[in-house]
Amino acid sequence: MDYKFVPSVCPYCGTGCGVLFEVIDGKLVGTLPNKTHPVNEGKLCIKGWNMHEFVNSFMRLKQPLVKTFGRFMKTEWDEAIKITADRFKEIIEKHGPDSIGVLVSAKITNEENYLAQKFARAVIGTNNVDHCARL
Amino acid sequence: MQAQVEQWLKEGNVDIFIGYKNVDGHVIPHFFTNENIDEVKDLVVGQAHYSLEKIATKVAADHPDMKIGILLARSCNQQALHVLYGWNQLNPNQIQTIEAYEASSDPAFDLEQPEPVSSYKQKMGLEKSMAPKDVEAFDQQQRFSRWMYEFSKCIKCYGCRNICPVCFCKECSLEHKDLVRAGNLPPEIPIFHLVRAVHMAGRCIDCGLCEEACPADIPLRLLYRKVDEIVVDVFDYETGTSPDQSPFSVLGEKVVLDPVPINE
Ligand code: SF4
Ligand code: SF4
Ligand code: SF4
Repeated sequence: MDYKFVPSVCPYCGTGCGVLFEVIDGKLVGTLPNKTHPVNEGKLCIKGWNMHEFVNSFMRLKQPLVKTFGRFMKTEWDEAIKITADRFKEIIEKHGPDSIGVLVSAKITNEENYLAQKFARAVIGTNNVDHCARL
Repeated sequence: MQAQVEQWLKEGNVDIFIGYKNVDGHVIPHFFTNENIDEVKDLVVGQAHYSLEKIATKVAADHPDMKIGILLARSCNQQALHVLYGWNQLNPNQIQTIEAYEASSDPAFDLEQPEPVSSYKQKMGLEKSMAPKDVEAFDQQQRFSRWMYEFSKCIKCYGCRNICPVCFCKECSLEHKDLVRAGNLPPEIPIFHLVRAVHMAGRCIDCGLCEEACPADIPLRLLYRKVDEIVVDVFDYETGTSPDQSPFSVLGEKVVLDPVPINE
């Protein structure tokens, strides 16, 4: 029997509302607002209310896709990262590091944002870092 | 309370008990079964209001034979159960309850603790702590404009419907494309809110969860209290006080109003 409520945070926007995922019989069937969460105090917008739907959606991407000859092909993570790194190197060599920009997100943690800017500055060598909360 | 639940689980009086547990500082709904029976000592009475009965309907929908125990932390939990029995969403023979009411978490008590209201809302809108008669003290035009001001803030999150312990329809009128067009904010007002209000007649138990969940601070409970007043006055039916079916579960013989085409 797998019945539980799993506290989590809505990943859709930078507000970061607290939610409870409702797991009934091992299936994620619903999302409830966390009533005592200091951010949303038991309220959610329509996106947060329906989070369980994208988790279960058949359209959900579960694997990286690489565009090859105009078509998206499924591939493994190692392969996708390698292709991306090779293409970055090519672009930097040809056009310089400032031809690349890194967009970070309100939907990831502070620490992940820190890593992303570090990657931009120390690995790629550019100050082109921006954030969706500034749009 | 804990000893009772433990005994029920061990003796098979209930297969699952829905109560509360403190998880990382948040008292949230929790399922207790024989598999995690050692957690029963952590069972607490939640102060935050969740509808454990609505959670029970989801368990029962998948497992109609499962015996479910429910913690009742407020008087409205029992009223919600009555409504759900009356509408065949739960089978009373499968349900066991433990009452642990806390007066300070009663829905009536919430009404007596008015929150501060901005001067703008005082001038333009309606306050949650008002009673239907306070609204009736305004003239008709004022009443209409004040309600429209409140409704115009709606962000169509469907939180009022989702959280409501007695909202369970598979197909919801609030998602019917002829009533509420997709993609508009606010949604069609006042239709959106009035459709819900009418559907709450004979169902709403005045628990206040919808109002608590409304990000737009709309006094929904006040609206449904008015509806409830009519149900009591006209139909002499007190919602939730017994498992009797509401007068609205009886279908009429013929439609008396002419159908009106919907303007595109
Ligand atoms: S529920 Fe809505 S407002 Fe809250 S974090 Fe998610 S998307 Fe943002
Ligand atoms: S007060 Fe709101 S949430 Fe509670 S039963 Fe009535 S409509 Fe539903
Ligand atoms: S909870 Fe409030 S904002 Fe959300 S749909 Fe209901 S009335 Fe509108």
